[in-house]
Amino acid sequence: MRELWRKRSVHGITFFLLLPALLCFFGLFFYPMLLTVILSFRPEGHEVGWTLENYTRFLSDPDGRWVILLTFILSLASTALSIVLSVPLALTLREKVRGHQLYRLMILVPLVIPGLIGALGLLLFWGSRGWFNLFLLQFVPGMASPLRINYTIQGLIYFYVWLYFPYTCITTMSALESLDPAIEEAGAVAGANRWQVLRYVVLPLITPGILAGSVLTFMAAFGAFSVPLIAGGDYRPLAVEIYKQISIPIPARWSAASAIAMVMGVLQVVFLTVYMRLVRRAGGNARGAR
Amino acid sequence: MNLVRAYMAGLRHGWFVLGYTLCVCLTLLITAPFLMIALRSVGKGWFGRLWLPPQLTWDWYRWAIEVGNIPEVMKNTLIIGAIAVIVSTVIGIFAGWAFGRRQMPGKELVMAVILLPRMIPPITYALGVAKIFYALELVDTHFGVALAHVSVCAPYAILVLSATFEGLDDRVLEAASVCGANTIKRFFYVVLPLIMPGILASMIFSFTHSYNEFTLTLLTYGPNTVTLPVRTYLAVGDGYWEITSAMAVIMVVPSLVILAMIQRRAKPEKLVGGFKGV
Repeated sequence: MRELWRKRSVHGITFFLLLPALLCFFGLFFYPMLLTVILSFRPEGHEVGWTLENYTRFLSDPDGRWVILLTFILSLASTALSIVLSVPLALTLREKVRGHQLYRLMILVPLVIPGLIGALGLLLFWGSRGWFNLFLLQFVPGMASPLRINYTIQGLIYFYVWLYFPYTCITTMSALESLDPAIEEAGAVAGANRWQVLRYVVLPLITPGILAGSVLTFMAAFGAFSVPLIAGGDYRPLAVEIYKQISIPIPARWSAASAIAMVMGVLQVVFLTVYMRLVRRAGGNARGAR
Repeated sequence: MNLVRAYMAGLRHGWFVLGYTLCVCLTLLITAPFLMIALRSVGKGWFGRLWLPPQLTWDWYRWAIEVGNIPEVMKNTLIIGAIAVIVSTVIGIFAGWAFGRRQMPGKELVMAVILLPRMIPPITYALGVAKIFYALELVDTHFGVALAHVSVCAPYAILVLSATFEGLDDRVLEAASVCGANTIKRFFYVVLPLIMPGILASMIFSFTHSYNEFTLTLLTYGPNTVTLPVRTYLAVGDGYWEITSAMAVIMVVPSLVILAMIQRRAKPEKLVGGFKGV
């Protein structure tokens, strides 16, 4: 009996310790989400009644489907490009090349700088009067007019990569650092050349790390709001579309915005679940190779 | 055979040069936008195809401070940041201690639930937060905006601090007791120095997230609680690129200080927070 009481009081303390976090979770996340769900089923501007109209209108509209497709194009393309950029970068920075600390610092810059400032600088640099176009006009023969980069989909993908590749890169670097050099040496002793060691030993072992990092890049790119808001032009992904619904029409269309928000949340959760399953499978393969 | 070896060495060298070029290009691509912002903020009459501004001026900074009301905005940002850091660190210390040091049934599940907000894009629950804050009249108060930031900062604080507390070695605490330290002494001389770096890292990361937070601020701010990101966004909308650049330079300085602190004191992996608990 006494033992049971002691056990209960121990759990009571644990619960007390978790209380602030739980309050924060339910007050600032769960209840707002619940409210959004309810609001998305309400007729526009009403507090009573149930309807599916908000969803059907958004999902049957060709513009709505284009918004969803665009969000996936942007986030998947930037995730893939981040991986392509991060792996050689991490492999190079692993050999303590000259100035490697400076390069490591550079990788952190897009993470700590507010996204808006990054987007502003990118718009200035790649704009028609920016240094990139000046360089093209002066040194590339046959360039008569500046290249249009801002407010195009390629430009937006590049901006996303610039802003969100550090997640993938940092995770890849830490996966490479925790790799035991003895494994590579074993590969070399077994007669593999440098390329073979890289292809058949190193890459399979760091794949889970790369994929876990790319999940973070994907999440940041999928939920990106400030950057497409000022640098997207006519390309409006889901987050911007939600904000447009409550900022442009008068009165604000909260129910429509909530419905789009629910679509966005569900898509992200479904995609992440599938992706994490793939990551786990890749991790299993790597362990098998080891 | 020698030829092959030379060829292989050359190839290796080639890869190395390629990698190094990549690093240098990356540095240029990352720094150039900031250089352009800095030059734009002090340049005058920079039109047409000029590499550098023809005249220099401090006018845009004066405009930013007088018209953009930067001192007031900076004060708001710092107050909101401080409240958000304190609240999320307190939450993080309590929850981190529970996750890192105590036994409980279903720990993984509770952790996954509490860290769930990191999986959902902020704009989806920002709508609900804004609705609730309008009802509670928390919109346009420093505490309200800071509370909205906590929903983003707290999961990071919990993640960093649980890892810190988990790394606290029981044997060290026992050793302190064996050496005759009582509970209070043990806490101040042994536990505190060991967990201080973790708490500091959590505070730095919470502040970075609060300082950069735009989505939740945009939906809960009011005329009295304009923060720097919102102010910059409004200035971009007005279309004055020079004044916006001046604001951006002012705004980037604290970020660079934070960057230096992260480089010295914390592991950058913690900033991205890993993907534990999914």
